[in-house]
Amino acid sequence: MIKLKTLTISTKAEVEMIKITEEVRTFIEESGVKEGLAAVISAHTTTGIMVNEGLECVETDIMETLDRLAPKELPYAHARFLPSYGATGSNSTSHLKSMLSGNSCLFVVQNGKMVSGEAQDIYLSEFDGPKTRKIYIQIIGE
Amino acid sequence: MIIDVHSHPIFYKAISNDADALKFRKEQFAVFKQSPYPIETAIYEMDYMNIDKTVLLPLDITTRHKGHIVSNEEVRQIVDLAPDRFIGFASVDPHRPDGVEVLDYAFKELGLSGLKLHPSKQHFYPQDDMLSPIYEKCIEYNKPIMFHAGMTWEPDAPAKYSQPVHFEEVAIAYPQLRMCLAHFGWPWMHETIMLLLKYPNVYTDTSLLHMDNAKDFYEQIFTKNMGPLWIERNLNKKVMFGTNAPRFRAKRLLPALRELPFRPSTLNNIFAGNAMRFIGLEEQEGR
Repeated sequence: MIKLKTLTISTKAEVEMIKITEEVRTFIEESGVKEGLAAVISAHTTTGIMVNEGLECVETDIMETLDRLAPKELPYAHARFLPSYGATGSNSTSHLKSMLSGNSCLFVVQNGKMVSGEAQDIYLSEFDGPKTRKIYIQIIGE
Repeated sequence: MIIDVHSHPIFYKAISNDADALKFRKEQFAVFKQSPYPIETAIYEMDYMNIDKTVLLPLDITTRHKGHIVSNEEVRQIVDLAPDRFIGFASVDPHRPDGVEVLDYAFKELGLSGLKLHPSKQHFYPQDDMLSPIYEKCIEYNKPIMFHAGMTWEPDAPAKYSQPVHFEEVAIAYPQLRMCLAHFGWPWMHETIMLLLKYPNVYTDTSLLHMDNAKDFYEQIFTKNMGPLWIERNLNKKVMFGTNAPRFRAKRLLPALRELPFRPSTLNNIFAGNAMRFIGLEEQEGR
């Protein structure tokens, strides 16, 4: 059995971390899948899907570390008009943070529920907002 | 206060329900890899950047391409969804036999606040006599014109029609007509500057980002290609903040503008004061 849901989320800042754990957990429980895997996948190249501890201090450290690793202003190559886009791309910091975060995560489904560690939360991380973002949750199992 | 005088509501979901119309709009405007988003997303971005109002621009290309990139009615529809945040302009294809009637309807019945014309995309020279009744209609209603000027990324849109020097005869013939030569008329920015200097009702906007990132490009344009104090000393009442969204975004342009060596009073003029005068909001507010 395969079940798919699309989350549409409007982000409200250039950079933010939005917890989507409960949305994923609820969809798994409503899907009818008892045993399998749930994938959470972003449709974008300037967002991240991250799993980490849902504490404000951890969020701060993650974002500050990403800022240090991928600063806003460097002589990036991706700072030019893109005819294939019809817009000027100058958001390498956002793409690089997305690369470092990854754009998906997986969770085990057992007895119709999401199996996760007690500290684990799932985040949509926005690196180029505000924008409307699409996140796919797909559950594969029986 | 901040006013963005140059935005295209290409991807506003409220007017993007027809897939064929959206495809036409994307191809004619030459903007891709983006999808319709709710009006709330546009307002979130305005709020995030402290932008109070945004001018929405349609484009009528019926005689050459049998359609509109965005129509006057669609602009009215969006403005009605958030009238405190959006200012709607009209557009008319000057080649239309009923062009003056269309424009009169847009001002009188739709209540739109100005006119957008695109000499390159609409294939006309600004000083062509064909435009006279349209300019006179704008003067009759005391409405400004936002002219595309300089290079455009749109297809079938030769830059020659939008070279800034072609607007001079319009400024001479209609000195009371407020007009913005958008995008600083790039790459003919010195022609634009000449017109800004000489004609009191000629304005320009900051919606240009053709190379580099915004910080590097603005620094090049506004402090190297131009004398670093030219805007501060000579043009501080002539330049308006504009983005050309969705091509260029406020969150990149605004911080870059703030890094230029402008006095706070000059930035205030660029952000809102000049737009208030151009659009006529000062008169509406009784100032």
